[in-house]
This record gives sequence, structure tokens and C-alpha cells, in this order.
Amino acid sequence: MGLSREQWVVMINLVVLVVLLVAGVLFGCFLRERKQVNLGKVTFGIVLVLIFSLGFSIGSNDELLGSLPHVGLAALVISLLAIVFSVFLVMVVRKLVGFG
Amino acid sequence: MIKYVLVVLLSGVVAGYANNMWGSVLVDGCVSYLFDAALLFLLFLMGLTFGLDREAMGKLRRAGVKILVFPCCIAVGSILGGLVGGFVLGIDVVGSMVVSAGFGWYTLAGPLVGQLFGAELGVLGFAVNFLRELLTIVGVSLWVRVDKYGGVAAGGATAMDTTLPVVVKFGGNDVLMAAFLSGFVLSLLAPLVITVIASVR
Repeated sequence: MGLSREQWVVMINLVVLVVLLVAGVLFGCFLRERKQVNLGKVTFGIVLVLIFSLGFSIGSNDELLGSLPHVGLAALVISLLAIVFSVFLVMVVRKLVGFG
Repeated sequence: MIKYVLVVLLSGVVAGYANNMWGSVLVDGCVSYLFDAALLFLLFLMGLTFGLDREAMGKLRRAGVKILVFPCCIAVGSILGGLVGGFVLGIDVVGSMVVSAGFGWYTLAGPLVGQLFGAELGVLGFAVNFLRELLTIVGVSLWVRVDKYGGVAAGGATAMDTTLPVVVKFGGNDVLMAAFLSGFVLSLLAPLVITVIASVR
């Protein structure tokens, strides 16, 4: 296949993500009978690590910091359109399928 | 929760800025390894949480295939919204589609889009999805007026956790199952769709 090295890396990452997720589900089913642990806090801790590294890459990029004031309006437009299209598509298709 | 998110994001920005000022004490690659490890662990944990939930599998089976209509419509609608938004704003449409494919999960979409498409789109990804969660909560009475499941649609991936209480309160108790399952499927789809678009670009 005519994929570049970077594209291969992305594809392999994708496979690794799916394998890890499935492994998590199987492991969870296996452990179900044991003592319950609260994973919510652990998950949130990991999420915070992700957010810190995002902040780090924003903070160490001078060009990016200068462009930040422009992002707000674009973000508002895109998120509103994404919501509106989702809501209307759900409304139309739900009537076609006859759900609920 | 949002309070902690903002504090950590801000301290990350300050740390990154300071690191840059003082001539890269910490190499950038070091932080990106930290990110990769955290993301992989997070995916495993999400799977583990689902597997541990005694009722999750049964709920999925009982609702049937029809319930997949919701996440499919929401995924297509979100990406379509991104496409139209890209045209309206006159920016790269692939970029605007990718950021809207976060489906509201800003803690994932921001860092992941940043990793794959550069930090600038990462910021847009964070902002778009953060605003989506905010606009879902703020505008929920409007969304449910269009359709009973409008809150589920607006919430996207967040309909399974952060916006679930509001979506159910305004849509009625019978949207609960659709909200959770749709949010769950979209949470799985978000990283997949983003990486697939990155790989075919």
C-alpha cells in the first residue's frame, strides 16, 4: 500500500487503541466477581494528565498563543452548527424509523 | 470537575511557557510520551469500566440495534456541522470536520487533535468541544423543544456522563437509555474517527 511512514504510525496506533479497549472489557468481565473498585477517580486523574500535556504544548508555542483570540468565534460557530445539525438529523431520522 | 480541568490546563500552559522561556529544560518529546501513555491507559480503563458494569452488556442487548440510529445520526450531523462551519468561516474544512468529530469530549479531542494535526487545531478542538458541552447544558430546553431526544443529540459523547442528568431531566426518563448508549458509542467513535481522518488525509 502507498502509505507514508507517518500514516503507518497512525494506523498502528489505532489498532493498539482498539486492542487495549477490548482487553479492558475482557479484563473487566473477568474481574467482575471480585471486590468493586472506584475507577472514576483514576480515570479523571489520567484525563488531567492529558489536559496538562495539552496545556504544555499550547504554552510552549509562541505563534499559537498569539492566535488564541481568533479561535473563540470559530469555535462557537462550529460547535453551534454541530449541535444544530445533530439535533435536526436525529429528529428527521427518528420519525422515519419510528423510534420512541 | 470543570474547575479542576481549567486549573490543570492553565498550569500546563504556564509550565510550557516557562519551559520555553528558560530554554527547554524539559524536552517537548518527553511530554508527548507522557500523553501517549496516559491515552493508552485511559482507553484500557474505559473498557475495564464497561466490562465491570454487570448491567451494561444486558442494557445494550435489550435496547436492540435500533438504538444505534442515535449515535449514527449524531456523528454524521456533527461532522456535517463541521463541514458547513468550515465553509462559513473560510478555514480548512478537514480541520473543522476533525474538531467537530470530538462529539463534545473536549478532554480527548483537544489533546488528540493537537497530537495528530498540530497544536493550533488542538486548541480549536478543545474550544469547540468544551463549548458543545456548555451549549448543551445552557440550551437544553431549546434542543428538547425541537425533538425529545434533542438533548441526547446536542450532548454527543457527553450524554453518557456530564450532560446526562440535564438531558434526562428535560427529555424525560425514557431517553435515559438512548442517552447513555449513544454517548458511549460516540465516545468510542470519537478517537477512531479522528485518527481515521488523520490517516487518510
